[in-house]
Amino acid sequence: MLFEVKNLTKIYGNRKVLDISELCLEKGKVYGLLGPNGSGKTTLLEILSFLLRPTTGEIVYDSRKVDFSAAFLQELRREVVMVEQQPILFTTSTYKNVEFGLKVRKVPKKRRKRMIHEALDLVAMRGFADASAHKLSGGETQRVAIARALVCSPRVILFDEPTSNVDIENRVAIEGILRDINIQKGISVIFTTHDRTQAARLSDRIIFLFNGKLASSIYENIFSGLIRTDVDGNTYCLIHDKVRLAVRTDKSGYVKVSIDPRMIKVFPAMDNLAGDHRFVGRVMQLTDEGGDVRALIDIGIPVSVLLGQEEYKQAPILTGEQVALVCPPEGIEVM
Amino acid sequence: MDLLFDSFVSAVLLLKSLDAEVCTIVLVSLKVSSSSTLIASLIGIPAGFAIAFREFPGKRITITILNTLLALPTVAIGLFVYAFISRRGIFGPLDLLYTQKAIVIGQVILIVPIVTTFTIAAISRIDDRYRKSAMTLGATTLQTAVVIFREARFGILAAIIASFGRVIAEVGISMMLGGNAKGFTRTMTTAMALEYDKGEFALAVALGLILLSISFALNLFFNYLQGRTRV
Repeated sequence: MLFEVKNLTKIYGNRKVLDISELCLEKGKVYGLLGPNGSGKTTLLEILSFLLRPTTGEIVYDSRKVDFSAAFLQELRREVVMVEQQPILFTTSTYKNVEFGLKVRKVPKKRRKRMIHEALDLVAMRGFADASAHKLSGGETQRVAIARALVCSPRVILFDEPTSNVDIENRVAIEGILRDINIQKGISVIFTTHDRTQAARLSDRIIFLFNGKLASSIYENIFSGLIRTDVDGNTYCLIHDKVRLAVRTDKSGYVKVSIDPRMIKVFPAMDNLAGDHRFVGRVMQLTDEGGDVRALIDIGIPVSVLLGQEEYKQAPILTGEQVALVCPPEGIEVM
Repeated sequence: MDLLFDSFVSAVLLLKSLDAEVCTIVLVSLKVSSSSTLIASLIGIPAGFAIAFREFPGKRITITILNTLLALPTVAIGLFVYAFISRRGIFGPLDLLYTQKAIVIGQVILIVPIVTTFTIAAISRIDDRYRKSAMTLGATTLQTAVVIFREARFGILAAIIASFGRVIAEVGISMMLGGNAKGFTRTMTTAMALEYDKGEFALAVALGLILLSISFALNLFFNYLQGRTRV
């Protein structure tokens, strides 16, 4: 087993940002860590890369219980490298940036040159070896940061949202690198992402995180709202003061609600359809998701809807089209 | 206006003739100021680094005290050091009073807070991602510190230059602890004060011009380094 995590918590002030009772990660696999902003993905990644000390809990890395003392951690950090979401390169050339990890490992100069060129070749950045690192674009910086991590020959690489700040061309390149280093070099990869299709494409296993806890599936369409009850006794959640969503809950006050995109039904727009769980909206975006169709529909708030292939064939919708939506209360979870 | 113009012309002639007295004064000034800046840097930079880099109880009050010490008047330092090195002071037997060493001691006390606080500011401004990047790439604590030092080098160099500028231009400590002895402890500023008292402006203006030139040259050097290193 690569990582065995037990009763892990990380608390900042009064806020528990991470609370994982058990998590096991195997060697040689690609793990996608999926969750919305603030779900604790980066915190977990920093703990697994031994950059951050957990508040409580136990971590066993490669059958070694992790002691969060400086000397012990430094030894482990030479096996586990993290590439940040927005990596920063040292104020020097690309070459010297990649050389850093080798220098601290006291790799002889002769060997270093070959290794640096190999790493830069892998990310298609050899032509930029002498360029000033601070003059590179976001995508190029990301690629050099990957080369800088790869050249250290780690056993594990952790990527924090590796493609969130790059264009489509660099995204494809980075996804390719991520796959290659796992297949060709056998490096275990753990990466975080918001993008469930990317997680599905690249990983052997997806780990869902929500509010610092492991979840059985990813929560989608998460909105903050206020629980109210009308004169007829119907409970609803008022989102952004404009969308009234019928819910079944005992909770009160401000809550977060999640609408399951598979539970939402889409119909041609009809004037008489408005109600607590019926809305009229406009189709903003349609994307293919492994045969299914994901639609982004604006009903005053952007709602993501997942339509099965058959379902879509029966009632195809177009972007810009006015449609009606039904969000049944059983598809809404109040958190 | 004539007085200023005549003094300026006489000053230029003095500088052109490489007057021996002027040269001695300038050399004493440079020697004393360089020594105090070097010693203060050796104390202040590691201290600033340690304060910025580590979390410890009393960190904020330490920084507040250092900031307060930035406003320390030179005459107060002069008086304080005098009490220790005068004949009746505990270091009296060392015969330090009215020597260049006495000036250096006073000036070090003056600029250690400057070097330290500037270093703290320079280090604190450095993006924390540099520390994390170095650590995740396997650097030791010392190697990580070197990375941060390298990234903060212009801020630290600015601290050194500001400190040198402060000591070469100060007069209180040099006068009180050096005694303005000709050829030994007479610095540019104490000589300028003396010449002013005597009503002899030529030497004072000449020394003023040199002082400004040194400051200008230092800043040129700093800008050159910044331009050259920022690839």
